[in-house]
Amino acid sequence: MKRIVTRFSRRSFVEGSAAAAALGALTWTHARESAASGLQSELMGPVFDLEITALAVNYTGQKGIATAVNGQVPAPVLRVREGDAVTLRVTNRLSEMTSIHWHGLILPAEMDGVPGISFTGIPPGETFIYRFTVRQSGTYWYHAHTLHEQTGLYGALIAEPRAPESTRPERDYAVLLSDWTDEDPLQLYLNLKKMGSYYNFGLPTTEDLFADLSRVGLAGATTRRGMWNRSRMNPTDYSDVSAATYTYLMNGTSPSGNWTGIALAGERVRLRFIGAGTATYFDVRIPGLKLTVVSTDGQEVEPVEVDEFRIGPGETYDVIVQMPDDRPYTIFAQSMDRTGFARGTLAPRTGMQAETPRIDAPVWLMDVDMMGAMASKPGGAGGHAAHGATTEMRKANHARSEYGPGVDMRVDYPRANLDDPGINLRDNGRRVLTYADLRTPGGALDLRDPNREIELHLTGNMERFQWSIDGLKLNEAKPIHFRRDERLRVVLVNDTTMTHPMHLHGMWSELESERGEFQVRKHTVSVQPAQRVSFAVTADAPGRWAFHCHLLYHMAAGMFREVVVA
Amino acid sequence: MSSLTTRAPRHTLVAILAACMIGAPVLSQEQRDQSAHAGHVPPSPATESADPPPPEHATHAETKSADQMPAETPSMGDMQMGSMQGGRAPPDARDPHAYAEGYEYTGMAGMETSDQISFGWLSADELEYLSGNEGDGYAWNLQANYGDDRNKLWVRTQGLKVPGELDPTTSGEILWWRPHSAFWGTQLGLRQDFGDGAHTYLAAGIEGVAPYWFIVEATGYVGDDGRLAARVKVSYDVRFTNRLILTPNVEANAYSKSEDERGLGAGLGNIEAGLRLRYEMRRKFAPYAGYVWERSFSGTADRRRAAGDPVNEHRFVAGFRMWF
Repeated sequence: MKRIVTRFSRRSFVEGSAAAAALGALTWTHARESAASGLQSELMGPVFDLEITALAVNYTGQKGIATAVNGQVPAPVLRVREGDAVTLRVTNRLSEMTSIHWHGLILPAEMDGVPGISFTGIPPGETFIYRFTVRQSGTYWYHAHTLHEQTGLYGALIAEPRAPESTRPERDYAVLLSDWTDEDPLQLYLNLKKMGSYYNFGLPTTEDLFADLSRVGLAGATTRRGMWNRSRMNPTDYSDVSAATYTYLMNGTSPSGNWTGIALAGERVRLRFIGAGTATYFDVRIPGLKLTVVSTDGQEVEPVEVDEFRIGPGETYDVIVQMPDDRPYTIFAQSMDRTGFARGTLAPRTGMQAETPRIDAPVWLMDVDMMGAMASKPGGAGGHAAHGATTEMRKANHARSEYGPGVDMRVDYPRANLDDPGINLRDNGRRVLTYADLRTPGGALDLRDPNREIELHLTGNMERFQWSIDGLKLNEAKPIHFRRDERLRVVLVNDTTMTHPMHLHGMWSELESERGEFQVRKHTVSVQPAQRVSFAVTADAPGRWAFHCHLLYHMAAGMFREVVVA
Repeated sequence: MSSLTTRAPRHTLVAILAACMIGAPVLSQEQRDQSAHAGHVPPSPATESADPPPPEHATHAETKSADQMPAETPSMGDMQMGSMQGGRAPPDARDPHAYAEGYEYTGMAGMETSDQISFGWLSADELEYLSGNEGDGYAWNLQANYGDDRNKLWVRTQGLKVPGELDPTTSGEILWWRPHSAFWGTQLGLRQDFGDGAHTYLAAGIEGVAPYWFIVEATGYVGDDGRLAARVKVSYDVRFTNRLILTPNVEANAYSKSEDERGLGAGLGNIEAGLRLRYEMRRKFAPYAGYVWERSFSGTADRRRAAGDPVNEHRFVAGFRMWF
């Protein structure tokens, strides 16, 4: 295994390798300082030795214990090459079981790293050897498939294409967005179980009421609240965990640490954004620069130029920017609930910074986020809500288990349009990426029409912090059977007011347009509140796989299914 | 601390209270139903489920295109709400296990079981010093439970002590909690009164959140000598900010038979109404101050008059609300 440090770009591998010997001995503190100056530590395959340890860290002024790989949080960037057979020897030096999952990689089921499904996890003191052939290229990542994901066990995994890229940008950085808490993740989970709104300090107040009364009068204020109060749902339930406990990190660096990627005037920079938030969606933009999205979930897309995009836990987006001048530009990634942000800088040299934008004001969830296609068209939601009912309205087919105590709401007529950027991004004056903008060139991998449809509903009870699929938690449900080599359609209907990033292991999720036509190949598909989304799958990966919401605490609570391909 | 509440002009508080509930256009049908049920009887499954799908619903099922959708109607939400929550599964509802096609979940023991987690919760809703026309004393309202999403062992106790008198509602309960529906749970168990004239009761009740966010607890009791009793509690959180929260609450107790040793007559025994203003320094810890008014009724009031005790009680309270 070679240890390689890239200070500026991959073209400087040779110079970087000179520093390699030093890195092996780096403490985490050094690693973090390095990150702040644009240095990313990388490991090159095909053989990797990864050691998981506990590490004392300080992101908030208070000491915390993180989970590190080779002494680093985030874990080092792993660079592999398409077509290579790789070996990853992972040693657990913690006092409890852990595991690493290679997110988005197509590999044998027993190499997938999900404790309880792929294998029994890595017991303390033991080494598990992952071996597989890299069958793809692009930006991926790896992370613990346990609560250690919250404590920092995540890193970028970049698969270089076998055939060299025709045009390579001058700079190339992985930008890993994550959330840190000093709290014990189990405690955090239990806080939510005991009080669903534990971390939500944006609940409606009398102040909001008086503002509404003066703005829209008594009738308006009543209408605005009626649906929410009657249904005991919360109009600010965008997500579960906020900046009340989270510090948002960019490449393991807090906003004040200002992670910096070096780029000179005229240079093109590839930023490989990775949504490594355990419970956080980030809305990313670089004020002053247009972002050309060229890839998602490791798969190339037809380039689309936007000002901003939303990245969910599990997703990745490759973005190309061109530096117009030798000035610094802020990479701004605010949390979807608008309570905080991760921030870094693109600049010609370290120590520079541009203005950091203010966090946008959050707006209440809209009718379309609860009523789906039944939402009234204008309703303050503006243009996007008008898409709530564009084409045919399809009635959701609820499972009988959705009528139990674990489900607090069901959507009968979900919206199916993909051109909604989602809550807190609608009509913000910026060009925001939507799934409707994403198109994988070359079409689907499998041109067969799906032979059948599996409809699954994303369900929950916010008050009791219960999360499930079809009203059944993992341990209450039977697995989903994919018949070997069939092409099938999975339809997801979100019966909650939260957005869920649904991740199918082992096989691609080929997202379809509202009309059922192939749209974009992904491994993690975000489903907005009261939305219906479908994707096609070719069941060509025999074995047992995980399918779950990538919000860690939703997964822990049971929004998870085993998928059997046989 | 208690002056906090007194200084706030009462009419302002009332106005704010009224304003906060305006999401509730004075009590919808659903709300009336809920209140009625909260009275004495645990709700039938139909309470939560609300109404059967309204006839309009069927019309929508036939509506295939958005163009045919009726224009945006403010009542659209109302129409659909009824079927969005609770209810019974229709006979043609999808079988959630059908996709298994004979396969069984093979999750390995000890892995991925966080969805089955059992955990404990200890809460002091009220733990307060009080000063009023019956003298100074203290009161408590404590609850604890342990269990998973489906079963919990639930223990609670409430009481009030002023010199020479233990409030007749002072009691402890041990209950088995089961979720009934998304917002309601049922509680079955035993209640033991504390102090003179104590009785032991079988207890059956509900707890949960009614539409418009009213926190409700309603329990019926059958005593050791066949006497019946009922206790209902309703509270509401008025958020001035996300930390400064005013909680009005009401509690009523009723009895089928008198109990002289406890000073209780048959019929409605008492109604207590409180206003507590707390500041959540942390989610789990909030000091509060408030004012409580209590009135005795019927036979209970007669006994109090006879004993020279006031029928109307009022007291300032100050304490801590906390949970773990």
